Amino acid sequence: MDARIVWTCMLVAVAGVGCTHVAPYERGKLAHPMMTADDLAGPAAAHVLAVHEGATGGGTLSESGCGCN
Amino acid sequence: MQLTASARRPSFHARLPYLVAVAALLAATAEVQAARGSDSSDNDQTSTGRDEGTVNRKKAEERSPLEDTATEHASMEFAAYNDSDHVSVVTPSITTGIENVSGGSLNASYLVDIVSAASADIVSTASRRWEEIRQAGTLSGQYKPRDFGVGVGGSVSREPDYLSYGVYATMVKDFDEKNWTLNFGYGFSHDTAGRCGAEGGLGASSCTPFSVFSRDLQRGSFNAGISWVVDRASLASVSTDLVIENGDQSKVYRYIPMFSPSVAAGIPNGASIDYVNAVRLPERPLEQLPLERHRFALTGRYAHRYDGSTLRLDERFYSDDWGLVASSTDVRWIFDLGKRFALWPHARLHVQKGVSFWEKAYVSNNPNGDPNTWDLPLYRTGDRELGPLWTIDGGMGFKWYLGKEAEPRTWQLGFTGDAMYTAYLDDLYVSSRVAFLGALTLEAEW
Repeated sequence: MDARIVWTCMLVAVAGVGCTHVAPYERGKLAHPMMTADDLAGPAAAHVLAVHEGATGGGTLSESGCGCN
Repeated sequence: MQLTASARRPSFHARLPYLVAVAALLAATAEVQAARGSDSSDNDQTSTGRDEGTVNRKKAEERSPLEDTATEHASMEFAAYNDSDHVSVVTPSITTGIENVSGGSLNASYLVDIVSAASADIVSTASRRWEEIRQAGTLSGQYKPRDFGVGVGGSVSREPDYLSYGVYATMVKDFDEKNWTLNFGYGFSHDTAGRCGAEGGLGASSCTPFSVFSRDLQRGSFNAGISWVVDRASLASVSTDLVIENGDQSKVYRYIPMFSPSVAAGIPNGASIDYVNAVRLPERPLEQLPLERHRFALTGRYAHRYDGSTLRLDERFYSDDWGLVASSTDVRWIFDLGKRFALWPHARLHVQKGVSFWEKAYVSNNPNGDPNTWDLPLYRTGDRELGPLWTIDGGMGFKWYLGKEAEPRTWQLGFTGDAMYTAYLDDLYVSSRVAFLGALTLEAEW
């Protein structure tokens, strides 16, 4: 992947960080359980995607390898 | 064929995960000491005299036994997978964990994959349907008393002919009243692939010991990311993954049909096994992949809470030095149906370009006419997931909150069902696959 694309995305992300400040008492919607980063799909679905797709990344570091393909 | 490396001094790369784990533990210890110091100074400020100190001691004695402030949770999942390539998998799993108000948590999981397969790859080598069981477990802990946290964990996966274990460490730091957060992680895993079955074929119960035949694969994974509060109803994150793999990950059961140049040009996509056997050359070498792979992923996530629903978007761009480039887009829109029910549609699109050495029909030349001298391609594979393909996934999920009126989410019954269609754009045996995955989950928290 072109390194310029990566750095551009990271720069946009960092720039976006400083755009707003939301106080803790204003985060009622953000505290909703469905807003967490937890995956709604379980371990089996994550494993199926790992086997079906030639790509990796974006998940946790905890999954070990397997001889599945 | 003995491919295991001889005993040698561990490299810095191999020792790196242990160094990271030790650093993470030291950082956690320092954080605990800082928290204790802060607490004691707070107590000193509030205790203004001997009488007050005596009262505090009496109150502390009256609180015995200590109140249990921990939250425990457990979940069970039963998942089933089936596809049109005659592969079925049943996966029961359990997860449990405990969290304390002081910021500590401990989690563990265990799953079993029961696989039954008679895919085109297996049938093409004249092998029968085989069954295999994989067991995998994880254990992790995290300590985040305030705005800085560390985590460590490990995982093990075991099949009759494959063993994988890994460790990892993570760090997370909140800034600006948790308006943005940085996280870093490093993981290391070691895989050992062996061989089972008579004459190396699958399906038999006898396995060659790893000490006689094995292939090693080492994997180092670096992760860094930033997440931030976009506005009062939106969260976003961007993360990067760099995975460095060293070792031979070629499958010992995968034989690659070879063709003469004139025949290879006319091989259709998704040819039958009989057709391939009729036109291929007599030689059929084992798969051979490059011994090193550098993988990179950039993942963005966005979540927005509307009145009565939540939208979650994921996008991942992927590239590696084998030439595989991919994009994965995932969307869920979760609707609250009253206080006790949530329902969501799910869609996912994955598109990828194949590795640079991908060929539907590999060509072998026999320039001298000598049947013992074949000019094989250096790299060759039959792994369809390394070829060009796209997959579209559509499904539904729901959660039913079964707890008491005051806390309905303490008991949850969930279900997810997905149908996946994959188009293999340049594959020898299979041109498409339809797969179904369903999972039933029961979760409890107390």
